[in-house]
This record gives sequence, C-alpha cells and structure tokens, in this order.
Amino acid sequence: MADVVKGSVMEMERFAIHDGPGIRTTVFIQGCPLRCPWCANPESQQIKPQLMYNVKKCLKCGTCARNCPQHAITIVGDHLEFDRSKCIGCKTCERNCPGKAINFIGDIKTVDEVIDYISRDKDYYDVSGGGITVSGGEPFVQFDFFYNILQRAKELGISTAVETTGDTDWEKMKKAEPLIDKFLFDMKQSTPEKIKEITGGNGWRIQENLRKLAEIAAEKIVIRVPVIPGYNYEEEVLTAIIEMAASLNIPEVNLLPYHNLGENKYEQLGRDYALKGTKMMSKADLKHYEALGDKLGLKVQAGG
Amino acid sequence: MAKKVYQKTNVEIEAKLKAEKTVEQQVAWMESFVDMLERTKDMDKSFRELEALKLMYPFLCRSIMDKDMLACRVDYLPVGFGCVTSVGGVGYYCHYRNLNLLRESTDDPDLIERLNKIEDYYTGNTIVERFDQKYGKPYIDGSDNGSTLGVIRLSGMMLDYNKFCANGVKGMKEELARRIEEEPDNNFLKASYEAMDLFTAVCDHYIDMIDGMLPTATEKRKYELVRIQDSLKRIRVDKPVHFIDALHCIWIYAYLAGCINYGRLDDVVGDFLVNDLESGFLTREEAHDLVRSLWVLIENKRTTVNGRLIVGGRGRKNPKAADEFARICLDVCKEMRQVEPQFTLRLYEDTPKDIWDKAMECLADGATFPTLYNDEVHVPGLAHCMRVSEKEAEQYAMFGCGEMNLQGMTVGTPNGGHNLVKALNIFMNDGVDPYDNVYRAGDFKLKKLEEYETYEQFWNDFSEFIKWQTDCIVSSQANCYKMLNEEMSFLFVSCMMQDCIARGKAVLDGGIKYLGGCNETYGNINCSDSLYALKKLVFDEKKYTLREVNNALLADFKGYEKMQQDMKDCEKYGNDIDSVDTIANDLFELVAKANYEAGPRFGLHHYGIVIINNQGNTTWGMKTGASPDGRNAGVFLNPSNNPQGGADKSGPTAMLNSLAKFDAHFQVGQVQNIKFQKNFFKENLEKIGMLFKTYFKKGGCQLMVTVIDHHALEEAMVHPEKYQNLIVRVSGFSAVFVNLDKSVQQELLSRTMYDRV
Repeated sequence: MADVVKGSVMEMERFAIHDGPGIRTTVFIQGCPLRCPWCANPESQQIKPQLMYNVKKCLKCGTCARNCPQHAITIVGDHLEFDRSKCIGCKTCERNCPGKAINFIGDIKTVDEVIDYISRDKDYYDVSGGGITVSGGEPFVQFDFFYNILQRAKELGISTAVETTGDTDWEKMKKAEPLIDKFLFDMKQSTPEKIKEITGGNGWRIQENLRKLAEIAAEKIVIRVPVIPGYNYEEEVLTAIIEMAASLNIPEVNLLPYHNLGENKYEQLGRDYALKGTKMMSKADLKHYEALGDKLGLKVQAGG
Repeated sequence: MAKKVYQKTNVEIEAKLKAEKTVEQQVAWMESFVDMLERTKDMDKSFRELEALKLMYPFLCRSIMDKDMLACRVDYLPVGFGCVTSVGGVGYYCHYRNLNLLRESTDDPDLIERLNKIEDYYTGNTIVERFDQKYGKPYIDGSDNGSTLGVIRLSGMMLDYNKFCANGVKGMKEELARRIEEEPDNNFLKASYEAMDLFTAVCDHYIDMIDGMLPTATEKRKYELVRIQDSLKRIRVDKPVHFIDALHCIWIYAYLAGCINYGRLDDVVGDFLVNDLESGFLTREEAHDLVRSLWVLIENKRTTVNGRLIVGGRGRKNPKAADEFARICLDVCKEMRQVEPQFTLRLYEDTPKDIWDKAMECLADGATFPTLYNDEVHVPGLAHCMRVSEKEAEQYAMFGCGEMNLQGMTVGTPNGGHNLVKALNIFMNDGVDPYDNVYRAGDFKLKKLEEYETYEQFWNDFSEFIKWQTDCIVSSQANCYKMLNEEMSFLFVSCMMQDCIARGKAVLDGGIKYLGGCNETYGNINCSDSLYALKKLVFDEKKYTLREVNNALLADFKGYEKMQQDMKDCEKYGNDIDSVDTIANDLFELVAKANYEAGPRFGLHHYGIVIINNQGNTTWGMKTGASPDGRNAGVFLNPSNNPQGGADKSGPTAMLNSLAKFDAHFQVGQVQNIKFQKNFFKENLEKIGMLFKTYFKKGGCQLMVTVIDHHALEEAMVHPEKYQNLIVRVSGFSAVFVNLDKSVQQELLSRTMYDRV
C-alpha cells in the first residue's frame, strides 16, 4: 500500500468568496517561510498545533493546569500562563476545558480527508465557476501534501487556485503549475531587499519566481498586495508593483486594504501584535490606483 | 357561564383594523345572527348557510378608504360564519377573545348584558368546542398542550379563480341552473345558485356607496372612484373584461368564501393586464397603483400567517403575460415593505433572468419576500405525495406558512400537529409527559428503558410509537371533516373547487376532487439530534444508560451538567456531517411515510407532513421538557427542519447540503430559513444567488431569506421604537420584529447569521 500522504491543516473554510472566482473552499495549510508583521493568520506560520487561549471564555477553574501532563500551565492572577516550550500538543487541556477557552489550531489530515471535505461543495463550484483555493501559510512548504491535493482535485474536475508568497523552489512551482488554474501571488514590496527586510522572505527568489511563472502562465496570475500602513502604503511602492505586473503581462492586481482582524489571535497565541493601534483601511483609500491600471492596460482592483 | 381564558386563537401579531360599525350596531347584528341560527336549526345545511351569508353580506362590508383603488373591505365580527381561524373561526363561530375585547370596550351595562347573552348562546356549542369534547383525548388534543394536535378548521383553500373569471356570476348561475335541471332536489346546488346573487349584492353595495362619495370627491379621486364603479358595474353579473375587473372578482369572491390565501394570481390576471396595457386602457403606472392597492388591502386583513400570493412556475396558461404581472408585483414588493401579502416566486426552468434579479434585489433590501420555491423538486414530489399526476401537481399553491394545495383541486388543511421532541420524552418516560406529568401514551404498550440493548431496538420501538401517534392525528383529521360536513357546505368554496358542482356535492361531502390534509411536525431536528446523541453516548460509547439520561432530562440537567455538555458536544445536524444527517433523514422518512401511508387508511385521498412551524416551535418549545441533544426544558425548538439556532457552524453551503438531503416525495411542504448580514449579502449578491441556485439544483425545495444589519435584532430588543420597519422571516410568515413576543425574538436571534469578511 502506498504511503498515506498527510499534512498539517490550519482550517478549511467553505463558502469562501474572496479567494478567487466563484464559490470556493479554502484550505489553509500550515507552515510559512515569511514572518510578515501584519500576518492575519499567525497560527498558520508553524507546522504544529497552535495553542489558542481565549481569556474571555476562561472560567479560571484550573482544570487544565491540574491535568496537563507537562505541567506547562499555571494560573496567574485572572488568567492562565502557558509555558509553550513545554507543550507537546497532546490537547488534554482543550478536551477538559469546561469553558471552551482553549483551542488547538492545526490538525493532521490525510489527502483523502481534505478531498472528501472539499468535494462536498463541488456542485457549488460548478454552478458558480468556483473551486478550491489552497492558502496558508505557504502551501508550497508542505509540497507533497499540497501537490497531492491539487492532483486529486483536478481528477475530480475541481478548479484550483493557490495563494502563495512565491517563496519556494522554482522546480516545485514549475511542477505544480499545470495543476493550478489561478495563482494569487502575494507581492508585499517592490524590491527584493525590502521584501527581505520586512517579511524575512527571500525577495530575490520571490521576484524571480514571479518572472518565470509569468513567462509560462501570465494569464493565470493575480498579484495581491496587502497594503499595510508603515510597510508598503506608499505611492511609489504600489505604483512600482503595478508597473512590474504590467511589464510581465500579468492581467490583474488586487490591492487589499489593511484590516486588523488577526489582532486578537496574537493575544490568544501569547504573542505581541506589531501593528497595535494601526487604523483599518478601506477600499476607497486605494480606489485611485484602478485608473493607473486602466492606463497600463491591466485590471487593478481595490479589494480582493 | 363557564370560566374562560380569552386566548388568542391563532398567530395574530398585529391587531385588525377597528370595526367601522358602533358597538351597538355590532351587538344588534350579532343578535340577529343568533336569532337566525335559532330559527334555522332544522333547516337544510346549505340553505341555513345561505341565510347566514345573506345576513353577513353586504352588511359587514366597510367603506372604501381614501387611497383604495379597489373596492371591498369587510369587518369580521366576533360571531359569524367562516372557514379559518384567522378571520373569526370555522363554521358558525364565536371568537370569544374578540367578543370579550368588544365587551371591555364599552361601559354600557345593557350592551354588556346583551354580549353576555350572545356568549352564553355559543359557550360549549361552537363546533370547535364540540369537536374537542367528542374527540379530544390526553394524547390528541385541540387545546394545545404542545404534544399532538387535532384541530378543526378548513384552512388554506385555494380557489379556482380562473373559473370565476371565465364565467362571472352569470356563467356560474348558468352552470348551476343546468345541474339543477338534472338534480332538481339538490339543495347544495340550489343554495349555491342563490348564493351567487350575493356577489352581485356586494358589487351593488359599493356602486351605491361610490354614488354617495362622488359629490365631495376631488377631481383626481372622482376619476379613481368612477373607475372602481365602472368595474363593479361590469362584473356585478358578467365576467371580467379588464385587469381591475379580474382583481375585483378575485378579491370579492375570496371574501365571500372566507379565503385568505390567493394563490397563483399571475395565471389569472396576466392576460387581463397585458390586454389592458396593449390597448392603452391602463398605463403601467396605473397598473402599479392597482397592485399597490391590492397589497394594502391584503395587509389590512392582517391574517399574519396567510395572505399568500404566488407568481411564476410551470403550468400557467400564458407565462409571458403572467410574468408581466410578476414584474409589477416585484416592484411593489420592493417598494412597500409589508409583512403581507406573503409574496412568493415559483422558480422553474423558464424563470426570466430579470425576474430572478429583481427577486434578489427585494431580498437584499430586507423585504423577506419573495419566498422562493423550486418547481423542479415540488412538482414531482407533490405528484407523488398527493397521488396525482405531475400535470396536476404543477398547480401547487402553498398557503399559510407553506402547506401545499393544488389550486382548485385539493383540501389540504393542516389540522394535525406533532411535537417529535415531546414524543421522545413521552416514549422514554413511561408514557408520561415530563412537562405536565400527564400520561399521553393511551393504550400503546411501552417497554422499560432497561430492556433496550441496541440503538436499533430503541429506534424500532420509537418508530412504532410515532406511527401510533400519527394514526391518532390522521384519524382526528378524518373526524374533523366528518363533523364539518354534517353542518356546513361551504358554498362559495365548493363552487370554485373541482368537482363539486359536477358531482352536486359540497366540498367535504364528496365534492372535492382530492380530499387530503396535513400534519405539522415540530422539533424534527431536536429530536434527530437527540437520537444521534443517544446512539453515540448510550449505545456506541456506553457513557450513560438510557435511565440516567431520562433522569437527567427530568431534572432538566440539574446535577447532570457534564452529561449535558457531552450532549451539546455531539455533532449536530446542519453541518453536512453524514452520520448525524443520516439520523435526521431516518426520522424524516419515518414520520413522513407514517403520515403518507396513514391517509388512505382513514379515508383520505392523501395525507402528508409539513415542516413549517409558524412560531409554534417557540410556543411549543416552552411546553416541552429537556431533550437529549442538550436542550433545556422550555427552550424553543428548532425552526422547521433548520438546525437548532447556532448549531450550524460550517457555513451556508454545509447547512444547505444538510437541508437538501430530505426526500421531497413524502411531504406536502417544508420551509428553510437562511439569514444574512445586509452588507455581506449586497456586496456578494451574485455569488449568493449562485449559492441559492446550486442548492435548488441539488434538490433544495424552498428558501426564505432574511437580510438584516449586524446586531439589528439585539438593538431592536432594547430600542424597539427605532426599529418599527425591521421585517424578519419567522418560520413561514414575516413579521415586524418588534411586534413579536420576546421568546420568539430570542429564537430568531439564536439563528446563525451568515457574514464573512
């Protein structure tokens, strides 16, 4: 019997309508080489169950602390403290929490399990021109798992999209490309140096991959720019990215206004949020770039 | 006089318009009605009914109001003759609550005394009370203990208005006269013949009224009044010529028949409308005005769970013309934002795109209308459940909260009710209802819980109990028809239903083509989620015994909090999870087939379940003990076959997938609610439209869509004054949210709202 391919999945979201055309299911895979300070899914960055603790639901009963085999939990004042270095992800605390304040994100799933789940909405994809979107994290990190999902989806006639940082080996991207109908390709800064500086990712590789991909499948690419005050919300940066897209014959750029909906996840993970206090943006803030797209002959859209 | 509680007799959210006549006039008329009843005691039932109708019409007609573009409004008084509970009651009814309200509205001791006498005359003698005395049992009860219901009424009759519009009074009388020649002694036919003159009498009443109004009317109003008058003059005897005539025919006839659902009007009036528009008799704006007026007249009847007006779908004689009417209705629906009419769009393969788009816009605006019905599922499904051809099933017309009739062909009044959660409670508790400690298992032989070793054994015996309860309900429905038929002919209803005139028999006397009925089931999903939890926790995991579970239920989980949590943690229906959805479907099929099969055994042509609930899932939930899905005693039950509020956590596709699993071949109506946040709905109109279309393609039969602002319901509960226009879909009817009872508001609040960033 062949090995069962498994992977770590953060979440699978049905009726996802902002991750590509039509009605979709988005599979969020764990693991990411980047560490964007604004990341809205911080629980997707590492490939392991992430302990989320919601202090508002906590009854301070101490059940978790008494039962933790690693003695990693202590009650301090009106909340719990977790020694995350000791945590082995056994989920004893989650199972026994009467207030449902503890929640582990990240499950090991087989390709079959993922495929069974996404197949349930195939009719919706067919009617709406939708499909699945594999997102992350960075889907290419768990490549075998990712590749198998794409293959199986294609066999079932399900359209596929990927949301990628682009920070991966070109060989992998080249191999997967025929199985992918739409690349939602993130571009977070205009130069490799700045990408490296802000996200920690390999900016040179990211831009090189974009160029190579554009050579073979420009029409499949949508460049997505999360627009973040203090990091890339500058006229020249956004203009440069749009111009880059135009020069590569990429038909579409989406400018995604900053939102802070990931903020409380940082709290639950026991981490600091670098953008604390940054104001949410709206589509209207970015609307004027759409005219630039018209000038350059591509579609620029405020919002995704 | 027996002490009475003057309860509301049905879902009445908004009070009716105050009667136009003085208390004195009303009392005097009611006395004459009582005298007539006394005088005609031994008369043939058809002629006695004719006497009652003659007293009522046109006496009860009230004035044309300032903005009315159509004539005829009627004040139903606390006593009279009718079919349905929403406007008085069935047969020679006495609406005790309204009678009491009238009594409380006056200080005049003489009037109070006279009203007391009227009440005494009826007390214990109305057909409702006599039915309950004769057939009521602890386990089948019209007095609403929230268990199994057997009521007496003739609801939701969908008349063949095409027939009346093709014939008019004159044509109807000619047909009746021919039949009387063949059967000179047939009292039903003879009384019907005379009854038709009442239609003319009502027309004449308003023709005279308008003569009196004209001298003081403005020029503009004069024009409108003359238009109404001309129309009435045309139709007083003859069949309609113009759009306004056809509307008048339907409207006035429905009053005379006591009907408060109108059915497929587009099929009736479409041709009249298009002819008028083409000939220039009517401008489009004038046509709009007429439909707007119809909307107001229907709303002003305040029949809450009724007022069905249907457009679209298969089997219309001229779909193009009918769609023109549908377009005007959609415009009016969007503009008027009323809770009635319950405006409904039947979707089929040829629904024009612009009609679909307009419907989505209405919904996006929060109108809750049109409710959407899927012909592809309903036509074959109803053909099977009603045992008719697909051609006939094309004429389906839902009334009330969504029970099905075939226009002009069936009786399908929902005179049964079945609380499936309570059934499980009684089954597990030695036949005793934990809510009120009354034994409700009759002669059904129950086993001890300790005897059940497998889920299959438990399920099989529970199935038998459900079937036994079902038989009680269906038998009650058959008895109800028998009793109604002994005393009434329902002349106006009968004349517009196949094949009463041809057979020379009144509707319940063997006249109706297909005598059916239906049973409203409640708590379907609480019951199936409960069965799933029992299967999992008791039989598969052996975590608890059935006895322990029952003890926990009796204690409403006090001291059993851990067990309750385990039950709540069990998978729930509505998330597209096969293991739990399968049990929901098992229960659905069990109940649906039990009803389907029982009908003919009790002499009915067809019988089926409807899963609708108006707001009964809340009011019955308050009378229902705790259940093994972790629900506490007294908490509302799930609405129709939707998940318990908040249990669906996997998004709308998963919820709709769960819903689409039920087989529509064994039911005569079910409704599905879905709730969206307003901006989300508007911004994603196209994708949400595709969501609905996919659901229909997968076998979904119906959708009722509520679109509201975030936190609107919570805020409306605190500041009702700011939310007078907030309309919500309950479970088969729409209402202004702030007018609902708090308990019903809470149930609506509990439902999942779809809203993603």
